[in-house]
Parts: sequence; C-alpha cells; structure tokens
Amino acid sequence: MNKLNFETDLREQLESLNKEKQPDRDLWAGIEIALTNEDAPNDMAHEVAANNRPRIYAVAASILLVGVLSWNALKPVSQNFNGTELIAALSSQHQQQKNALLVKFQDQPALTQNWESQLGELDEAAIAIKAALKQDPNNVALLKMLQSVHQQQIDLIERVHAPKWRQL
Amino acid sequence: MKIEGNVVAAQGAFAEKSERDLINAVQQGDKKAYQTLYQTHIGQVYALCYRLTSDKSLAEDAAQEVFIQLWRKIGNYKGDSKFSTWLHTVTSNITISYIRKQRGWLQRMFNIEDSEAMNYSAEQGTDLSDLDGYIALLPERARIVFVLHAIEGYRHEDIAKMMDMAVGSSKAQFHRAKQLLKEWMGYE
Repeated sequence: MNKLNFETDLREQLESLNKEKQPDRDLWAGIEIALTNEDAPNDMAHEVAANNRPRIYAVAASILLVGVLSWNALKPVSQNFNGTELIAALSSQHQQQKNALLVKFQDQPALTQNWESQLGELDEAAIAIKAALKQDPNNVALLKMLQSVHQQQIDLIERVHAPKWRQL
Repeated sequence: MKIEGNVVAAQGAFAEKSERDLINAVQQGDKKAYQTLYQTHIGQVYALCYRLTSDKSLAEDAAQEVFIQLWRKIGNYKGDSKFSTWLHTVTSNITISYIRKQRGWLQRMFNIEDSEAMNYSAEQGTDLSDLDGYIALLPERARIVFVLHAIEGYRHEDIAKMMDMAVGSSKAQFHRAKQLLKEWMGYE
C-alpha cells in the first residue's frame, strides 16, 4: 500500500467520521448545580464591562485555596495525600468566611425576603457535592463545583446586603 | 426540483431562526432554553472533547466545564459567525486549557513525570471508528494538532495561537501524527 492510497484513504475516513458522540453519564445535573444563582449571560457581560472593582472576598478565598492546594501539593506522595482533609479544610474556611459576613451584615436589612432559603438551597447543593466527594475525594470537577457553590453563597450574602448601587 | 430546493432553504432558514431565538432566550437568562441548547450540542461538544483528550472521564469533565463557561461567555456571542463554529472554538480553547490544568494538577498531586503525563494511554472499548481509535493513541500534542487541523479544519496559524506554540511546531506535530497513523494503519 503506497503513500497515495494512504492520503486518499485518510481523507475518506476523515470525511466519514462521526461528528457526534453522546457521553455515558448525564452531565446536565452538574452543570445545573454549577449555574445555580448565576446571573443572566447578558447581565454578566454588562457587569464585567461596568464593574472593575476588586472583589476582596473572592481574591482572599482564591489565595487561601491556592495555599491549601500548594501545601498539600508540596507534601511528598509517601505521606498519602488525603482528599477528605482538603474538603474538610475548604468547608471549614468557607464556614468561617460565611459566619463573618453574616455577623457583619446582621443589622443591615436584606434586599430580598427569600435570600435565606436560597442560601439553604446552596447548602443542600454543597452537601450533595460533598457526599459525591466522599466517594471520589480527588475529583477535580467536583472540588471546583464545591468551590463554586461556596463562592455563590458569599456572593449572595454580599449582594442582598450590600448591593452595588448602594456602595456608589 | 426548484420547489424541493425552496423547501430545503425554508427549513434551513427556520432552523437558523429557531436557534437564534433559543440563543436570545439563553442570553436573557432562560435556563430551560439553555438545557435545550445543551441537548442540541452536547453530542458535538463531547465528541470534540473526547478526541482532544482521548480519555472518557476527562472528556466528560471538560464538556461539563465547556457548558459552565459557555453560560458566562454566550452574552458575548453577537451572531457574526455560525453558532456551531463559535461553539467549536470555545470548546477547543476550554478543553486545551482544561488538559493543561489537569496535567499540572496531576503532576503536582502525584509527582508524575512530564513524559508520562503527556502520553495518556488511550482508552479501550471506544465506540468510535478505527481512525478514532488510532487518533486516541497519538501522543498528546500530535493528537490535538491533528484533531484541530484535519477534523476541525483550523489553520496551523490558529492552532499555534491556541496551543501557544510556533506555527512550524504545529506543522511538525501534524506531520508526526500522519506518519504514526500511516505506520499503524499498515501503509509503507
């Protein structure tokens, strides 16, 4: 079989390749959880253009997360990196941050009535993700999902108590 | 013949309008519309993620990441190009970045050598074609360049930007991929 045949055969095989393949597991459920409480895409596009103020809590949380991950990454493999410990550290740090914000805003009226139930729904989402992480502690997608839910809780508390128009 | 042609053209225009309406609804924050958009495009997105990663689990995570980030990016889609073309570019960029992050994370956590991390063994039992099986066996960089150039139709200049490499390197990786495929497919 010569080079010409290869080029022709390869082209034919490329043209007949199936452009679609369905994943074995349902990916939508995880996407839906990750997008809970996300603003509408158009609103986000406007907000990104209009709002360049630093988000102190998000930065602090990210720095802390990087710190925790780096600390764990620097440990030699022989010390058996424990994903469960990382999840516990993340949860504990988030709880402290959440409590601090709730105390800070306790005397301030909230902008909406149902923010606590939204916070509760996010708590349930975090519990479900942590349950999944117990089975698969090193799953990066789940860790990111947990981090995203935590961040949404912080954003929610800040948004209902200190909307951006009030800070202007 | 002319009537059939008109019907086909009308169907195409209707499909395009439906997709535009769907995208408009998503941009306004309609999550049901987003689920419909997901169901319409997940097959194409996952196939591309799978070909780029050659790993089922990584492809599933990458496809999930694509649809999470797409929600944040779709507000920037103005309809200048076909949505599927735009979506493929978004998918390719996010998946390449996901592969890089994942490789970095794996290396940090388990101290995997670069050479090992860059040569994930292809999964067995794929239900894709023979050619897909061979593509999955290619080394990472050669595989990504081959998929983007030969299947997705990107120019080497675009691939070089996406992968942060020289245009010559993209061409060299493509040549390497073809040589390996030629050998594995039994050509002299």
